[in-house]
Amino acid sequence: MGWEYSEKTKKLFMDAVQGKPGTHLGEIENPDGMGEHGSIACGDAMRFTFRVKRHPSDPTQDIITEARYLTFGCTSAIASSEALCDIIERGAYTPIEALRIRNSDIVEYLGGLPEQKIHCSVMGAEALEAAVFNWAQRRGVDLAALGIDIHDRESAEGRIVCKCFSLTEPYLKRKIRELNLRTIPEITNAVKAGGGCTSCHHAPGGLQDLLDEIWLGKAGSQPPDSPRFEILPEETRPVPELSPYQFAKKVERAIDEYVRPSLRMDGGDVEIVDIKGTLVYCRLDGACAACAGAGHTMKMMVERALKDQVDERIRVIQV
Amino acid sequence: MQTIYVDNNATTRVAPEVYEAMAPYFTDCYFNPSSMYEPARRAAQALGQARQKIAEGLGGIEPEELLFTACATEGNNTAIMGTARANPARRHIITTAVEHPAVLEVCRELERAGYRVTWLSVDGNGELDMAEYVRALSADTLLVSIMHANNETGVIFPIERLSRIAKETDPAIVFHTDATQTVGKLPIDLVRRLPYVDLLSFSGHKFHAPKGVGGLFVRRGTRCRPFMLGGHQEQGRRAGTENVPYIVGMARALELALETRAQDEARIERLRDRLESALLERIPCIQVNGRGAPRLPNTSNISCHFIEGEAMLYQLSAHGICASSGSACTSGSLEPSHVLRAMKVPFTAVHGSVRFSLSKYNTEEEIEKIIEVFPVIVANLRKLSPYWDSAHNRPRPEAENLARQGHDPAG
Repeated sequence: MGWEYSEKTKKLFMDAVQGKPGTHLGEIENPDGMGEHGSIACGDAMRFTFRVKRHPSDPTQDIITEARYLTFGCTSAIASSEALCDIIERGAYTPIEALRIRNSDIVEYLGGLPEQKIHCSVMGAEALEAAVFNWAQRRGVDLAALGIDIHDRESAEGRIVCKCFSLTEPYLKRKIRELNLRTIPEITNAVKAGGGCTSCHHAPGGLQDLLDEIWLGKAGSQPPDSPRFEILPEETRPVPELSPYQFAKKVERAIDEYVRPSLRMDGGDVEIVDIKGTLVYCRLDGACAACAGAGHTMKMMVERALKDQVDERIRVIQV
Repeated sequence: MQTIYVDNNATTRVAPEVYEAMAPYFTDCYFNPSSMYEPARRAAQALGQARQKIAEGLGGIEPEELLFTACATEGNNTAIMGTARANPARRHIITTAVEHPAVLEVCRELERAGYRVTWLSVDGNGELDMAEYVRALSADTLLVSIMHANNETGVIFPIERLSRIAKETDPAIVFHTDATQTVGKLPIDLVRRLPYVDLLSFSGHKFHAPKGVGGLFVRRGTRCRPFMLGGHQEQGRRAGTENVPYIVGMARALELALETRAQDEARIERLRDRLESALLERIPCIQVNGRGAPRLPNTSNISCHFIEGEAMLYQLSAHGICASSGSACTSGSLEPSHVLRAMKVPFTAVHGSVRFSLSKYNTEEEIEKIIEVFPVIVANLRKLSPYWDSAHNRPRPEAENLARQGHDPAG
């Protein structure tokens, strides 16, 4: 998979990493609006801040004059952040006007993005939205009263559909409608859901069910209450007449009495790793572990002692 | 701009000597080695000689124990699926969480078909827990498939010990190892040092042969059904006209690798160690993944906290440096490397990994160039990172807490 970025994307990225004048890297101190989106665990994250020229009497008439970002992410995530800041500064928008900027505007500004990178532009739009909500709070603007859907708690609440990226049903439903996503790959490219283990694709209540519910009006099947576990019985070999516990005790005692003392004289020791039926797995420690004759020591001494003291069928395996 | 190629675990440059050895079999001796006429016998002879050479290179196995394949992926598919088909009475497979997808996905496919698969975990160094391995061996165990060395970190697994334990537990257990990253790099002696390995797959293009040719060692007496059907080639165990020029090339490549292996290895290791120690000295908050374990001498997997790998690769490539990353943005999926996640690399670093893998063709000047540009690349991206305090060149305090939480909560 080579780089299929547009020249514009490449230039914005290189200018940004080289800190050229006119780029928007950084963070505004005491900003008028601050929003974050993404997380380091998911592979990209952005902090977006802006400053406004305050209107003396009507905060809804504030004009955004300066926009800055800090972004953890790939080439296109960083270029998308640059694009967002430039679009906003050039437009001299009010924060409420800025809400109309869509991820598609960022993609257009960049001269296109590879499909699997669309989520980078969505991150920019989400961070902007969060920053505008934050501005509204600071300036006492009631966005809901202005008819703006503020859906602020949806990502914290609601059933998780995609566990890999912790995305909830209300969030996914909103994004499917907003971005007109029609297929599972489109969802994955835009918001990453379903891009990890893929188990949510066709699970009950999963991505396909959400798509069917939204676009076909079908009620999705209900997710199961809790996962079911089946415990598979471990295969066991024919075990000697003693119970496994008694057998293990007897092996340990024999090693304590007949093997350890002589190994310790040479600065070594032996540890039982496991016992399966009549197979005894041991590890030699200390001086013995480094000794080339260790395998021989093990076989001859440990196995003989165990055969004599516990069971003639015992075989020793060195781990 | 000069290309600095340090992605040799992905593929290698074809050695000029290999290219030369192959040439006559394209235009001159192009015959089907199965045909009856005299010129075809020369092709068959070349094939036989190549088989003999590789058999010797693997410790003196019988030439009949070696099948030619198109790639290591085919070898892995054949080994695992073929073993499952030949031994229907057993239904348990042991493998590791860090295998290459060519093993991982085949085992998953068998899991979907009802097999029980034990996925052995690794520790922070990328090493296996022998007690966990021993515990997993059961009377139903059909196959153990464990790679020889990891392609991402270079961590070497103790195949000698693992195969012996399996066979001493139960000789009917089949032991397979994916040796794609070790054939041509480490000594492989299937007769004296690895007598308990039944199946070993490898690929030519990791040791300066071309892409499109590989091999599968099948120890005599191992029950394994063929994967490719439809021809008598390779004694009916792998149908398909033999790729004579490529097989000749692979034999020449292995011969070359073994001739100078000891010197090459020492030199490559010195370059790799120089790269690692210089970067560790110059860049804060980075870690070398798998550093505490036995590793391939050519591989260095470095994670830089708080920045993302693809953005690093892009800038490296602007300097002509070709490397790879375990970041999500380069994997084709949206999840970062399964190997680094299995090693519980903190999620602040798992997206910021870069793998440098060297070959005998790398020079000191190339390594110095990487040492010169890489710290700048990292610093540039950290200036952009919301988790980094560039004024003091250290993580922001809240980001340090994230790093301490460690493992990726998502998965």
